[in-house]
Amino acid sequence: MSAYVITIATLIAIYAIVACGLNIIVGYAGQISLGHAAFFGIGAYTAALFATKTGLSFWYALPCVLIISGLVGLLLGLPSLRVRHDFLAITTIGINFIVEAIFLYIPFFGGALGIGGIPRVTLFGLTLKGIGFFWLCTGFLVLSLAVCWWFTRCWAGMACFALREEEEAAAGLGISPVRFKLLAFVTGTAMAGLGGALYAHYMRFISATDFSFPVSISLLSMVVVGGMGTLWGPVLGALILSALPELFRPLVDYRILFTTTLLLLMIRFQPGGLLGETGFLRSRIAAWSRGGRR
Amino acid sequence: MSEGLLKLEGLSKHFGGLKAVDGVNLQVRRGEILGLLGPNGAGKTVCFNLISGVYPPTAGQVRLSGRRIDGFAPHRIAHMGVGRTFQIVKPFAALTVLENVLAACGIRRYRSLIRIWSPWRSKIDREMAMAVLGRVGLADLAHRKAGLLPLGNLRRLEIARALVVGHKLLLLDESFSGLRHEEIQRLEAVIRRIREDGITVLLIEHNMRVAMGLSDRVAVLDHGRKIAEGTPESVQNNDEVIEAYLGRKGRGHAA
Repeated sequence: MSAYVITIATLIAIYAIVACGLNIIVGYAGQISLGHAAFFGIGAYTAALFATKTGLSFWYALPCVLIISGLVGLLLGLPSLRVRHDFLAITTIGINFIVEAIFLYIPFFGGALGIGGIPRVTLFGLTLKGIGFFWLCTGFLVLSLAVCWWFTRCWAGMACFALREEEEAAAGLGISPVRFKLLAFVTGTAMAGLGGALYAHYMRFISATDFSFPVSISLLSMVVVGGMGTLWGPVLGALILSALPELFRPLVDYRILFTTTLLLLMIRFQPGGLLGETGFLRSRIAAWSRGGRR
Repeated sequence: MSEGLLKLEGLSKHFGGLKAVDGVNLQVRRGEILGLLGPNGAGKTVCFNLISGVYPPTAGQVRLSGRRIDGFAPHRIAHMGVGRTFQIVKPFAALTVLENVLAACGIRRYRSLIRIWSPWRSKIDREMAMAVLGRVGLADLAHRKAGLLPLGNLRRLEIARALVVGHKLLLLDESFSGLRHEEIQRLEAVIRRIREDGITVLLIEHNMRVAMGLSDRVAVLDHGRKIAEGTPESVQNNDEVIEAYLGRKGRGHAA
């Protein structure tokens, strides 16, 4: 595999992890978030600061990164999740802009210069680069998918589904809306933090614009295109939305136009996503597997 | 006469200048079916929302088995054994009928930070949910998507969910409205059986024949105030009730 393909594949795996986290919040718990890139950034900046200022290795810093991303998620989720629907959308957009501004204007976070010189990840004395780091990201993606899979099968997930469908009825069944929305939010933001840490160690230089609002939009597009609330949807979405712009490289300036057009088309023609309930791909896969069995 | 399970004392809810519920005193006895009647806008559903914790009252108290529960959040009141249905049905549309009831079965885990991580596809819960679906007559639709069910089945699904939660008290908000004659009869039988299981039922009903036939006692609200309480027969002949429903005397009989 060429280095170019490996780079794209690694980024797809990282975005897929972050999108999986967003899927827990949006797809499973039904809480719109348009500021997920902020938590992706918080993970990346935390990992970068640990690596450059304390010299702590990736592996020791990782639990701290997850905890800090989750805690910030808890702190910001607590007031945000008390509002619903469009108000929540606006609040989360606000979070994104505030977090980006903090990275940009506070010298501790490197200001406009960002943070550079982040070391590569080593594993058993081996420095991971290229294909090695790709496998590391794939491993973490598998782990994230396992968490998502478990989430849909445990009572916490059931509570979130109920809240997503009918909040008032769910509360009438003993489900605390605040508690379970926060649980989904914290799990999702911690996953974004994991993606962020991998991103920081892969790019080895990060700046505030890597985590700006358009990134949140493209993360949400990944979830919507693939299929909100499905297990593989975010992975498929990350694949499509990261690979297509590469295939049409000359059109790179129109990336946001492309993403938003795709998002609108999906909402109009495939609201459940490609792998969703009435999704195009899902019905194809179902037909194919039925044919195979015959 | 058995002791009161639910007690409303001077319960009031004002929305700005509108006194939706105004100083209502009411006692629901253990094991009875109490019908809450009244014309549209009398404050019946607001009363339910006060009992189930959707709103805190402006004044007054709600007591369940002697304990004050007014101002508690809805999920806390559910944990105390109060189940409710909604006038406008609120099914979890994307889930199956069985999963809708399973979501209610989770009430034994939702308060623990550890047990919420255990899987919900366990045999015990499944059997419990199926048994409840059997009680309301929905067992053969268990794997259908709830969003695809007609209204009559959705009302029974809501009762099934409420039954899992409400081992003490069941609040049924117009569970009969919009149903066909046969569906009404089947649902009446379901509710009678629920009472036989020792669950107290407080129901809001518009259909007079159903309410009078099913309730042990009825209370009538009008403009947020309780205007009558007693056996169905005594209330039926109460002048104030007749006036609230039909207008002043001398205008002839409406249906």
